[in-house]
Amino acid sequence: MADNDLVNVKIDGIAVQVPKGTPAIEAAKKAGVDIPFFCYHPKLSMEAGANCRMCLVEVATPRKGPDGTISMAKMPKPQTACSLPVSEGMEIETQTEQVIADRKAILEFLLINHPLDCPICDRGGECPLQNNTIFYGPQNSRFIEEKRHFPKAYPLSKHVVFDRERCIHCARCTRFTDDISGDHQLAFLKRGADMYIDTFNQSKMVSKFSGNVIEICPVGALLSRDYRFKARPWDILSQKSICTQCSNGCNIKLDYRVGRLQRVNARLNEAVNEEWTCDKGKFGMDYVSTDQRLVTPLIRRDGALQPATWSEAMDLVVQRLKEAGKSVGAIGGARCTNEDNYILQKFFRNVLKSNNLDHRLGTYLPPAQSGLHARLGYHTMGNAIADFERMKTIFVIGSDLVNEQPILFLRVRKAWRFKGGRIIAANPAATQISEFADPEVTYRAGAEVALLNGIIKILAERNPSAADLPGYGDFIKSLAGWSIEKAAEESGVSAERIRRIADAIFSGETAFIAGKAVTEHPDASAVIEAICNLAVLSGNAANVNIPVTQCNAQGAMDMGLLPDSAPGYTPVEEPGLNTRQMLEAAADSNLKALWLVGADPVAHYTDADLAKRALGGDTFVIASELFLTPSAELADVVLPVASVAEKDGTYTNCERRVQRIFKAFELSPDVHPDWFVFADASGRLEQPLPYFSARDILREINVTVPLYADCSPQKLGNEGIRWQYPSAKSDLQLVPVEYRPLAKVTVAE
Amino acid sequence: MPETRILLKHRDEPGIEDIETYERLGGYTALRKALGMERQEVINEVKSSGLRGRGGAGFPTWIKWDGIPKNTNQPHYVLCNADEGEPGTFKDRELMLKCAHQIVEGIIIAGYATLSKVSYIYIRGEFVESAKMVRKAIDQAYRKGYLGKKILGREDFDFDLYIHVGAGSYECGEESALMSSLMGERGQPRLKFPHAPLPVIAGAWNQPTLINNVETYSVVPHIIVNGGAWYASMGTQGSKGTKIFSLSGHIAKPGNYEIIFGMPLLDLVELAGGVTGGNLKAIIPGGSSVPLIPAEIAKDFTLDYEASQTVQYRMRTMRLPVVGSGGMMVFNDRTDIVTLMLRTAEFYAHESCGKCTPCREGTRWLYKILYRIVSGGGRPSDLDILMNICDGIDGRSYCALGDAAAWPIMGSLKHYRHEYEYWIEHKRSPLGDNFVPPVPNRLNLNFELLPAR
Ligand SMILES: Cc1cc2nc3c(=O)[nH]c(=O)nc-3n(C[C@H](O)[C@H](O)[C@H](O)COP(=O)(O)O)c2cc1C
Ligand code: SF4
Ligand code: SF4
Ligand code: SF4
Ligand code: FES
Repeated sequence: MADNDLVNVKIDGIAVQVPKGTPAIEAAKKAGVDIPFFCYHPKLSMEAGANCRMCLVEVATPRKGPDGTISMAKMPKPQTACSLPVSEGMEIETQTEQVIADRKAILEFLLINHPLDCPICDRGGECPLQNNTIFYGPQNSRFIEEKRHFPKAYPLSKHVVFDRERCIHCARCTRFTDDISGDHQLAFLKRGADMYIDTFNQSKMVSKFSGNVIEICPVGALLSRDYRFKARPWDILSQKSICTQCSNGCNIKLDYRVGRLQRVNARLNEAVNEEWTCDKGKFGMDYVSTDQRLVTPLIRRDGALQPATWSEAMDLVVQRLKEAGKSVGAIGGARCTNEDNYILQKFFRNVLKSNNLDHRLGTYLPPAQSGLHARLGYHTMGNAIADFERMKTIFVIGSDLVNEQPILFLRVRKAWRFKGGRIIAANPAATQISEFADPEVTYRAGAEVALLNGIIKILAERNPSAADLPGYGDFIKSLAGWSIEKAAEESGVSAERIRRIADAIFSGETAFIAGKAVTEHPDASAVIEAICNLAVLSGNAANVNIPVTQCNAQGAMDMGLLPDSAPGYTPVEEPGLNTRQMLEAAADSNLKALWLVGADPVAHYTDADLAKRALGGDTFVIASELFLTPSAELADVVLPVASVAEKDGTYTNCERRVQRIFKAFELSPDVHPDWFVFADASGRLEQPLPYFSARDILREINVTVPLYADCSPQKLGNEGIRWQYPSAKSDLQLVPVEYRPLAKVTVAE
Repeated sequence: MPETRILLKHRDEPGIEDIETYERLGGYTALRKALGMERQEVINEVKSSGLRGRGGAGFPTWIKWDGIPKNTNQPHYVLCNADEGEPGTFKDRELMLKCAHQIVEGIIIAGYATLSKVSYIYIRGEFVESAKMVRKAIDQAYRKGYLGKKILGREDFDFDLYIHVGAGSYECGEESALMSSLMGERGQPRLKFPHAPLPVIAGAWNQPTLINNVETYSVVPHIIVNGGAWYASMGTQGSKGTKIFSLSGHIAKPGNYEIIFGMPLLDLVELAGGVTGGNLKAIIPGGSSVPLIPAEIAKDFTLDYEASQTVQYRMRTMRLPVVGSGGMMVFNDRTDIVTLMLRTAEFYAHESCGKCTPCREGTRWLYKILYRIVSGGGRPSDLDILMNICDGIDGRSYCALGDAAAWPIMGSLKHYRHEYEYWIEHKRSPLGDNFVPPVPNRLNLNFELLPAR
């Protein structure tokens, strides 16, 4: 029987059909029957679960008698619905006198040692223990013995504080660190009623995902140090949003109170973050409500930035832009919404007549239609985040995945932990993926192509049909000088391990994920070509992923914040300057005005010196910013703009999923979304771009950018929409790649 | 009725720990005979013997043996449960000390029958001497070619036996917790059928695993040599063969007694020399996990798996076992039942692994109430609470340790409620003023303050 075969079960007499093996508690949910629980969590493995016993139900299964008649046989003991897989004909009773008595007994057990300090407990008001107590809790405590005592507020890490007295030992947190984050930080120590949660040897909890245990803890035992005692749950409002800390696009809730962000919780999106966030997202979003936020425009007067009114600042901007003519450029947009970026590029292209636009701050600034797109037909990710679950093999190359793409990391780990996927990784230094990657090899920095050539060499021999691929002749000739041994020597990875990697790729559908070590490689395009060769050769041309890293870098590309392509990757006739060229032009006083849109080249561009010369010179620099960043400090006009919490719009995450954000609160009347600033400027230039809301702009994008045709405000819904290329690339080919050892590579392009 | 020594036949034989002596007395002939049989024939022999597991639950042994998938290339394991931790039970200890070769031989036969290559014997950590004897037996068996590669020249039979010593947890005798512990995890039980596959399908390391008690394996060579029918000719309808009972308490000649199933309970007490220091008050017949039987009704009980006691509470009727693991504790009329229950409760509260709510919280609560009663602080309502707690634990806990903690107290409340009431009313033992509860409060929780980070 396949796992997805349906079975018929009855919950309190209500018949439902569910896939065989579904936990009874889920089948009950489907029947509309509520079974109380504490430890159950659908994303955590059952093996260490089923321990709270709150979900006990009575179960009967059909038995065939010797005469062939079928009768219902009741299991002698009550069963935990969370761990019981349903089978055909099973009948479950959740409301019998016995079941109710059992729930009361369990709840009483949980409460005897519980401190019941709800009035000062952060969880009070949204506490499963409180909630279940309302229905099953005893009226009086019969426990007159002394309760367990532990020190309150025991700090586990920078973010998490632990109230051990409130713990109900459900093992959700320990299972999270074993099943999901994989850092195995929390465990039970001692036994019986003395049992408690701690880290190994009372060391600090070190995890990129520690915040999640706060959310899944069913009581107020694991708490956020940031949020502790800041608000009561009924006293905060909540708005749907998207995390801006990386390109994965975790769905979050911004919980705020009187115009200040209090905390961030994850929002379920099975396609993206499931229900997790990383700590950067959960604890790093507090930037929106710090006192360092800019609330008034600044103008440089007498060499110093001084407060000005909005009109003063904008008039100055417009006057200088008029003087500059076409000699203008803009850098940034990777943290703005699609709507911001669309208006930014429209303002520059249509009003100022300049293609000097770039959202990138890295070293690798290839033409939009080159690289991955030219070879495989897509710009960044071939796969959706959820696709990684089905992969037989995932090859992570040159990426410290957990830091660069935390949510991708969790999916990749899930593929390994729950779906039988095999993970292989090759990195210049060991990363956290070594917990489950088999093997994680470390190659000599810069020797990616050598390593890939070794793998390619093995696969080319194994896959005779590759000879039919266009370009095969030249390609194989270019590999003539390569042997596995040479690859091993050049890359520093043993021949045996190169073979194991090749074996894993050969064994089935393989996805490739490349990261910063590749995109920041001085010879990045060669490495990417080699990865494409490997993918084409192994039949995985649709599975190469080189995700962007900044929040809306994907959307910025899509919206045409590139010198050579307009929204939707339409090539422009006269490509403008890219980031480096703009900075160089500014440094040489060849650019009259430069607008930094949420970009901080001084802090983030690889050549900080060039950035300082560019911004500190004659060029008139405008910075739209949240903070007075090192770059903004060099600007001539600084315009405060709205953060994610203060505006509506959409972001496109690394897998091209367009997702909505909603305005939670207002910071100050002078703080506007970026698109508004450009619309205002164009109005003052008497070429108005009349938009009233981000929705307006999105509707225009739906019409003018065919790739975004489906992403209308109505359709985006809670899961967002992943836009698709109109067709898959059909003319795949192999191309020779030259391996240039790092020392010989000098040009950065 | 006398003893019938089959497993303990050689226990007084000098030099029985040496393989030569064991072989001279017929040792390892069963293995030779088994290797001459088809694997299924071996299992059939165990089936016809009617052998039931001696670890406490009395599960038919052959069903497990037969359940291990045949013709599989997966690795699979044979485990021997030598974690004997049940209070009052010390039969496995003596079997290991005196007849270790018998166990080793039984395990090898099980390995042959189930086509396993690897086995472990999980020995209770405190049994240092027993572990040494098992070590010695295993070493000798390797030297003689009974263990290792190509056993007795059989090309298709390689078999290794490893010792794993526990770290002092009663719970690790529970079969799934034993597997967790063996795999290096925390000694907590794992999901059982129907929540997860049976161990014979997915046990240790998620592979098919056979687990039996020391005594169970010890019977196997005798069944192979003499035939299942011979073994089944002894005992009652549902309980075949002999069983070792460990007698302790107020008894003249404490020790292990091997008897045929079906012997009246009181006959065994007589066999061990009778009660000392007073008249019989009560017997715990099968290890501390089974409820005690008062002297007045002891004559109604026979020692077999069919025997049971019923306890009624609210909407439930519970049938509680009698034989259990065979640890029989005899108490004379100078025994204070409440203190006895306090001591029992302390054991379970201390041994609860902490995984599930009812056992973790309930066992400690039982202990605290009982302690309060013998400290003179009992209240009439306590008896209801005690029964209530037991009811909340029994059948609701994750593994049977919780049940085992509840049953004795439920039994004592059924038979000796008056003693509890006396304690509560008079704040002293019914046995008189000078009775001092011997149990200090060992489980009063005191947590050291942990340093902040
Ligand atoms: C709390 C607990 C402790 C147990 N301890 C032991 C033990 O020490 N030795 C043992 O053989 N079985 C013990 N058992 C029983 C085992 O779980 C299992 O039933 C037995 O090892 C199976 O072997 P058998 O079929 O030969 O009886 C224990 C069970 C429980 C619930
Ligand atoms: S965890 Fe829940 S029940 Fe416990 S003190 Fe906090 S709010 Fe109250
Ligand atoms: S700390 Fe919270 S999540 Fe962890 S075991 Fe305790 S109650 Fe469960
Ligand atoms: S009943 Fe529960 S707490 Fe007790 S030993 Fe078993 S699993 Fe552990
Ligand atoms: S929810 Fe089922 S045992 Fe906890």
